[in-house]
Amino acid sequence: MDFALPEELRALQRTVRSFAQREIAPIAAELDREPRFPWPSLRAMGALGLLGLTTPEADGGAGLGSLAAAVLLEEIAAADASHATIMSVTSGLPQALLVRHATPAQRARWLPRLASGEWIGAFCLSEPHAGSDAAAIRTRARRVADGFELSGTKAWVTGGGEAHLYLVLAATDAGAGARGISAFVVERDQAGISFGAPEAKLGQHAAITTEVRLDACFVPLEQRLGTEGQGLVMALQALDGARIGIAAQSVGIGRAAFDAALAYADERQAFGVSVREFQGVGFPLADMATRLEAARLLTLRAAWLMDRGRRVTKEASMAKLFASEAAAFVTDAALQVFGGYGYSREYPVERYFRDARVTRIYEGTSEIQRVVIGRQLYRDRDRAEAPGREAGA
Amino acid sequence: MTIVTIVKQVPEAEARVRVQGGALDLAGATFVLDGMDEYGVEQALRLREAGEASEIVAVGYGPRETEQALRTALAMGADRAVLLEASGLDDPLTVALALAEVVREAGADLVLVGGKQADWDSAALGPALAEALGWPHVDWATAFTLSGQAFESVHEIDDGSETLRGSLPLVVTTQQGLNEPRYPTLPNIMKANRKPLDVRPAATEESRSAARSYAVVERERRRVVLEGDASSAASELVRRLRDEAKVLG
Repeated sequence: MDFALPEELRALQRTVRSFAQREIAPIAAELDREPRFPWPSLRAMGALGLLGLTTPEADGGAGLGSLAAAVLLEEIAAADASHATIMSVTSGLPQALLVRHATPAQRARWLPRLASGEWIGAFCLSEPHAGSDAAAIRTRARRVADGFELSGTKAWVTGGGEAHLYLVLAATDAGAGARGISAFVVERDQAGISFGAPEAKLGQHAAITTEVRLDACFVPLEQRLGTEGQGLVMALQALDGARIGIAAQSVGIGRAAFDAALAYADERQAFGVSVREFQGVGFPLADMATRLEAARLLTLRAAWLMDRGRRVTKEASMAKLFASEAAAFVTDAALQVFGGYGYSREYPVERYFRDARVTRIYEGTSEIQRVVIGRQLYRDRDRAEAPGREAGA
Repeated sequence: MTIVTIVKQVPEAEARVRVQGGALDLAGATFVLDGMDEYGVEQALRLREAGEASEIVAVGYGPRETEQALRTALAMGADRAVLLEASGLDDPLTVALALAEVVREAGADLVLVGGKQADWDSAALGPALAEALGWPHVDWATAFTLSGQAFESVHEIDDGSETLRGSLPLVVTTQQGLNEPRYPTLPNIMKANRKPLDVRPAATEESRSAARSYAVVERERRRVVLEGDASSAASELVRRLRDEAKVLG
């Protein structure tokens, strides 16, 4: 058992940390105050290969594994959560789905542009009335000559209006529930797709979020991804990887808050000593460090298992659940260490606190993660007890 | 034409450095490719992109860990690397003699090296290397171009800038302002691990000088934070500069 990151990966981490701290961290506060989709820094990320981490090199990506993606996403998130969200979505959902399910023609058409960051990809599953209950989506894909006509409204789309490519889940067979949903690729300039105004959100302001409206939007047959009726199955499978991404992002945001609190508790004097001398400050720092470490280990292990071709539904949900809850705890405790200054916009901690909050909600709420884990516990047990299986098989 | 770019590994500028028993404790510090050397690597890449160089060799002198800095240079785009492995306190003259051998062996006509190193700050390695090679040296370049064997180099002086022209071979010391070094791309960092890196022990017997010992000189920084609003803080600053520091009349 070896817990050290390979030297090759540490070299990637050093470069990305340096890039993130020099190019992204300094603009994070301003992007929070004056939200805009951060195109210049996204372009720079694309040039390094950060927007197509796990897409194969043959398709224009960096060709890295999930472990590397998790390590590097933490670095971006520690500089700015909004960049990490955009990165996680474009790389983890549309690209991951295309890599797995696209035809050669579809790969050639979309992957190089997405992997280089020339295009940003968005993911459209949730709807105003269907979040956790994904099978209840109402967006319809009606079969017409040479393709489909999509109608419906998608909610909470990261990069809405800014992204060039939208991976849309829509019902092709309304009576078939989860097995009646298919995946489609819609490009931004196609007729019939439009965008709502950016949502006013608690945090992650630069990760612009909008509604995506589809009004009799025609997509030719060659823009359907994968087999008809398999869309939700494909999407849920991709969400395993995406959840590891959110776990890594949570660790990154938590780390930024923890580092700030660690430095502040050392510098800030009260009653003639550094406040870190008081257990009221030292104990929370110890708890923060412990939870972050545990969250990182769960995250990296889930990624490591995924790189070994294992189904990681349970492990990804555990990592996402624990890491997002840890980020909430750590950012809250960090704010407390800062006292009144923590509540002030003069320091970045209140931003970390706001940015972290949504990690307990998106890519499946904490409650849904518990549902997934709970269900998987019995599946794993039943599989282990199934006859004809040798131990370790 | 081959360019040698000298690479040193130094503690990161923001690294926390502790002094323990008169010696530096660098455990826990992150080490990086020296920023001034990085301008040299970048300039070599630009000269090659401009069609003026065919091969770039990154050469380091120092402990085994220097390999990391050399891998960074390889990831940025250098073709191969040589590490002269040495354990520590060698002075710039000794290092220059050893590096000169590698420069000759590579058949290089141009050497780029940081104007000074972020750790020892001696600013001696570049001139010493030029001397060891018997080549001319232009220092503190903020612009550098080649046209065949002819070079043009600019550096800042007190009342403007100075342009120097001449022909290779040449040692150039580099500094901030010369260029904006690129970040290596992730695929290139991976590929850098497969590029040739030749590690050999540094031969130092020729040296005419030796560092006998080093000591850390500690200086406490006197920090004063002036409280209050801008105008009262400004008045207090003026008072202190005039009455205490006596730098204002």
